[in-house]
Amino acid sequence: MPKIIIDDREIEVPEGTKVIEAAEQLGIMIPRFCYHPALGSVGACRVCAVKFLEGPFKGVQMSCMIDAKDGMIVSTNDEEAVEFRRNIIEWLMLNHPHDCPVCDEGGHCLLQDMTVSGGHGMRRYLGLKRTYRDQYLGPLVQHEMNRCIHCYRCSRFYQEFAGYFDLGVMQSANRTYFGRFKDGILESPFTGNLSDICPTGVYTDRPSRFFGRRWDYQRSPSLCINCSLGCHTTVSARYRQVVRQEARYSEAVNGYFICDRGRHGFHYARTETRPWQALIEGREVPTEGAVRAARERLAEIVSSGGPRSVACLGSGRSSLETQAMLGQLCQKKGWQGPSYFMDKSLTGKAKTAVSRLDPELAVSLRELEGSDAIVVVGADPINEAPMLALAMRQAQRRGGKIAVIDPRPIFLPFDFNHLPVRLDEINLYLSALVKAAVDPELIVDAGKDAIEFYQEAPSLEIVAASLQEKASILAQELRAGQRVVIVCGTQIVRETTPALAADHAKFLRAAKKQAGLFYLLPQANSFGAALLASSEVSFLEIIQGVEKGEIKGLIVAENDPFYSFHDRQRLELAIEKLDLLVVLDCIESTAVKKANVFLPTSTLYEAGGIFINQEGRVQAAPRAYLGGISIAQIGGGDHPPRVYGSDIPGGELRAAYQFLSQIGNGDQIEDDDPTRRSLLRWIADNIPPLAEIPPFDELSENGMRISSSNDTSPQFAVNWQEEKEKGKGSEGPLEIILTDWTFGTEELSSFSPPLMKLERKPYASMHTDDAARLGLGHGDKAKIKLDEGNLEVDVCIEENMASGVVILPRHRLLEWQKIKSLPKFVRFEEIEKVSG
Amino acid sequence: MKAAWEGIVAIATGFATTLKHLFRKPITEEYPEYKRVLPERARAVIILTRDPDGEERCVACYLCSAACPVSCISMQSVEREDGRRYARWFRINFGRCIYCGLCEEACPTSAIQLTPYFETCERDILKLVYEKEDLLVDHGGKDKEYNFYRYAGVVSKVGDKGAHIKEDKPVNIKSNMP
Repeated sequence: MPKIIIDDREIEVPEGTKVIEAAEQLGIMIPRFCYHPALGSVGACRVCAVKFLEGPFKGVQMSCMIDAKDGMIVSTNDEEAVEFRRNIIEWLMLNHPHDCPVCDEGGHCLLQDMTVSGGHGMRRYLGLKRTYRDQYLGPLVQHEMNRCIHCYRCSRFYQEFAGYFDLGVMQSANRTYFGRFKDGILESPFTGNLSDICPTGVYTDRPSRFFGRRWDYQRSPSLCINCSLGCHTTVSARYRQVVRQEARYSEAVNGYFICDRGRHGFHYARTETRPWQALIEGREVPTEGAVRAARERLAEIVSSGGPRSVACLGSGRSSLETQAMLGQLCQKKGWQGPSYFMDKSLTGKAKTAVSRLDPELAVSLRELEGSDAIVVVGADPINEAPMLALAMRQAQRRGGKIAVIDPRPIFLPFDFNHLPVRLDEINLYLSALVKAAVDPELIVDAGKDAIEFYQEAPSLEIVAASLQEKASILAQELRAGQRVVIVCGTQIVRETTPALAADHAKFLRAAKKQAGLFYLLPQANSFGAALLASSEVSFLEIIQGVEKGEIKGLIVAENDPFYSFHDRQRLELAIEKLDLLVVLDCIESTAVKKANVFLPTSTLYEAGGIFINQEGRVQAAPRAYLGGISIAQIGGGDHPPRVYGSDIPGGELRAAYQFLSQIGNGDQIEDDDPTRRSLLRWIADNIPPLAEIPPFDELSENGMRISSSNDTSPQFAVNWQEEKEKGKGSEGPLEIILTDWTFGTEELSSFSPPLMKLERKPYASMHTDDAARLGLGHGDKAKIKLDEGNLEVDVCIEENMASGVVILPRHRLLEWQKIKSLPKFVRFEEIEKVSG
Repeated sequence: MKAAWEGIVAIATGFATTLKHLFRKPITEEYPEYKRVLPERARAVIILTRDPDGEERCVACYLCSAACPVSCISMQSVEREDGRRYARWFRINFGRCIYCGLCEEACPTSAIQLTPYFETCERDILKLVYEKEDLLVDHGGKDKEYNFYRYAGVVSKVGDKGAHIKEDKPVNIKSNMP
């Protein structure tokens, strides 16, 4: 551990630490443009120059390029170094345009800060300034190349870090250009990070273009709730609307970056069509009246039909508070539920994922970056949770090997091996791979269960001939890996897969590997939902109850079954049969329109909330702003109304859990804190894994990882015979797999206008062989006969996917909700070509 | 005795001065009957000026509202169709303004300027809240020449890339010729 003296202060740092990092640990911020902790050093900008007085180097050197060594004495404020840096800044400013007033970076621009702090106030250069033509880079990023100082951060992030290659460096010397070969939408779903890392205004956030200055924004730490990873963000609000969201550094979750879905997924909170007013039968009423009506009508239903005639549906996108309030109400009142998932299979998978996530197996997203072999089972990282793909890319850059076992046409921005198999084969393939990767001698002391499991597990023989070669390479790579992580999805896989993934992780650990387990869950707070969900009642059972006439009243908190339930016709009939539908939500959904009583709730940004991500990390987001209808909306885009008053229009919103508490308990809420406090007490008393949950504001920056595993769930208990039986018969009908896309399928982000521009038109993916049998060509329109009508959809023919399946996105523009029960199979005759 | 004498002299002198002024022509300027012309740089009501091409100078950069010590300036910036940045609305609350002139100093485009006009008394304080249409004038104020967009280097109707003052023509990124 070298000791180094910087500005007369000594510090001991690990071997390989750069001088600029050592200085940072002392609290000395050496100026930098090109150096970034996530991207490393390249020494391109020359602005981190310091003077080395003693040690192996002498004189002015770049502090980002030199490792700290024993005996170094460094001065950051030596006259020569200061002069050097001042000259560098003046050079960087030679061609910089005079456009700070119209530049969105102004106010948080690193170049601006350095210019001012370097004392460069007047331009001495009298020559002509170099100019560049800008490019159209899509709806998310604005390009203004004149401002570039050639630090290479953008191309390093885009190509090296993220693995996409359509943006890079062109030309040389004084004419170096950063952009695409020609105008066009950037391919990567991580482009928003360009505006975060650019030290000046070459890439700026396009949706919030020209909206304001950072010093005017109400900035607050927040969380992304557009997938289950729970990335950290900083949210900026102004004039009562969220303006932009940036990545917030998190040691445990997302590091320095976030994906575009998370960055621009907040627009649901500011759309003009967001419902602000409580409704009874579609009529606008005061909030108090609607709450009273809901309470009274529920009491009527309970008095005539008993407490079991009321059911509760929550969702995985609500805060833990709202989810728990539903749980508390059902417990107290004897209502049915709460249910948070559409069917029992999904409930089961989420519950398995939660209960099998052993604390010693669980890995965080950042820990995943350090693994040397990753097996992805039934998950599509770039579409379901894009930041997972970025983390896997880091593992791959460090030499990690990645295998994906999934029927879908998986794309990842790096080299990986894909075993496209049907859902019924996933378990077999996973077992075969893991079995082949383990040294039989190592598991002798692993325990009886594990040994039996090993012996019964299928071997590589079950792998299809076409995939044999790939599988054996994968097995070898896995065998070589020491830190192996199994990433398991829960959306499309069979109910047995999540448990099997855990078994295999345990088994790998028994075989002396540092195995890890990483589940993906459907929504941001599905972990909390799985902890709270009743295992008897899913939404399907609620519908059955309604059909039988047992359930008369339904409370839906922040969920839209019309978006996610697979049988719309049945759902509509059931809703009509209800005496009372109470909906609480913050988005304009079909359920809101159908509600007898509707209560407008506040969003995460307006109320704050606790969310538990897929690895059991309890994280809290504070309120970012008070809420209310934005000034842009009440002023019609023009100036705010010329009136005095302290009322906030639309300020009657409350968090869903407060409304629920009012409906259920009848309390009058003056302040939200007592409700939240008593709710957290209830959570601590009733959910054992959350017994230690600290108060909202005492949660640390990285949250708190809880252990939810209980040993009661079955382990190493797979019926291989049954699995093998299912795995056969590839000549059967085609299975419809409903899947997520990066843009266009996630409920909240589908309200975002900039992301709508990035959505692809929905299409069904099919394997070449299946398409050939059906006579379908790429781009043809096909008609798929579903249970309740036909679905016309474009067909995309893919080579790298399983045959025997049809992949349909749960796209907001596709009416796929015509399926009686899942899993759904269609016969070949039920698909026909409509037009070419 | 001496003190009494001195007292009488002092009073008499005072009265004499008063008496003398009674018959003098008054030098007080009667306001509002007489309005003195104030220097051009006197600081009173604020205006938003236009550039020599007749376009709004204000680019809604928020520097004036940041500099304002009493936070009496608010605005909303947006993008115009031709890429120019301008204020969708711009509001100055003269009920709060202290006419310090810091906004004018901060303005990078010479848009916001203080004028010598100060007669803004109102009975209704809301009338002291000026909107953009109250502030915008059709001249350049004290600075007749400056046009920010001729220097800024961003594409607008004023000029394409390379067409602004002291700009080289754009780099051809597809050619290796020097």
